[in-house]
Amino acid sequence: MKLHYYPGCTLKQKTTALDISTREAMRRLDVELVEPEGWTCCGAEYPLTEEKIVGLAAPIRTLRQVREEGGDVVVTTCSFCYSVLKRANKAIQDDPLKHKRVNAYLRDDIQIDPLTKERTTDFADYNGEVKVLHLLEYLRDTVGYPKIRERITRDFRGLPVAAYYGCRLLRPQKEMAFDEPDSPHVFEDFLEAVGCAAVDYPFKQECCGSYLSVSLPDAATEASYRVLRSAKMNGAKAITVTCPLCFYNMDHRQEAIKAAYLDFSGLPVLFFTQILAWALGVDKELLGLGEHTVPAAALFSERPSTEVRS
Amino acid sequence: MRVKLKSGPDQRKFIARIEELSGENVFACYQCGRCSAGCPMASEMDLLPNQIIRLVQMGLEEEVLRSKTLFLCASCFTCESRCPKGIDMARVMEAVRHILDPKGKDAFGPGEISPELAKELPQQVMVSIFRKFAK
Repeated sequence: MKLHYYPGCTLKQKTTALDISTREAMRRLDVELVEPEGWTCCGAEYPLTEEKIVGLAAPIRTLRQVREEGGDVVVTTCSFCYSVLKRANKAIQDDPLKHKRVNAYLRDDIQIDPLTKERTTDFADYNGEVKVLHLLEYLRDTVGYPKIRERITRDFRGLPVAAYYGCRLLRPQKEMAFDEPDSPHVFEDFLEAVGCAAVDYPFKQECCGSYLSVSLPDAATEASYRVLRSAKMNGAKAITVTCPLCFYNMDHRQEAIKAAYLDFSGLPVLFFTQILAWALGVDKELLGLGEHTVPAAALFSERPSTEVRS
Repeated sequence: MRVKLKSGPDQRKFIARIEELSGENVFACYQCGRCSAGCPMASEMDLLPNQIIRLVQMGLEEEVLRSKTLFLCASCFTCESRCPKGIDMARVMEAVRHILDPKGKDAFGPGEISPELAKELPQQVMVSIFRKFAK
């Protein structure tokens, strides 16, 4: 079965681990991921003021392309892309003024087919027809955990793993409606379904410092440290993320965290799709473990599944 | 600090502009401080989020615009999720950044990232920080 998939800018170059493990895992669940033709960066930040309407053009153009290709669902893995696409989609559905202005701007797009050189323009209005889903939602609702458990060939044997939601998946609750903002559990349910033991800890929806890691590295170091320490104190052997920026802040900057906070001894950071892909039997070489600064390969040790989990 | 409060057309214009841009009713705030209590960046701030909104209510444009806090907000929406009055503080912050002098200096511009760092950073972080802090 075909499914539209929006990888977003970072997955194509800096965190290919997330992109490749997503594709490999979904292939083993009989889902073929298709990228919308000519997708662009979503803008990373949903424009928060009423006058920055131009920021909606890029995500809406991508969503319209999904519709033109006959898709009614698009999945993403990156939290930022998910947040921008979902909020932009909702703005188009709920706000007539934004609907009118964005569509007036995008109507005159010219699309040139690379092969036939055929020009398409005068696009029909986009009215929010495409549903934006995070891969975690898709795995839970459409694929279903029973099917994932059926396909699992490798067992994590209850490896204690912390699920980190961060900021963008959950909030603002009114618009994201992803899970309970203060007691989310979709990520934990996923980890349990693939054979890990989800670690409960109080910092799972705290901020990692986000883009402030560039302008104020120390503040982001502290924010990421708080999350990592809390996960580790509660017994996690690894922390899982959905977002390339959380990954950067917690993995690539972990040396700085360790240097600033001597009580912290390190914690591997994984993408949730790496866990899924490995459990489904994807070759370890394809998980992109070389992109990690904190060595994580030891967590994926070859032991065949000894029992069928139900 | 003694501040003389006025409620002239300048103050009213500033408040109206913030409300128009953010789409939030700043007068709904009753200063419970839950936004500041939950803010992960509060320790770095010169004015806490609830103080920013109080100054906006009083129309003290200058005090708000020169605060460091505007460029410490990571838009993580923790304040938004906790506000008992349903105010999205991140939108108020964005509205204040929006009315800063458009000819002024970038709070954080591309020149501040070294080529070595740029090689390592995920694209996403550069797109988002320039969207937030550059003109």
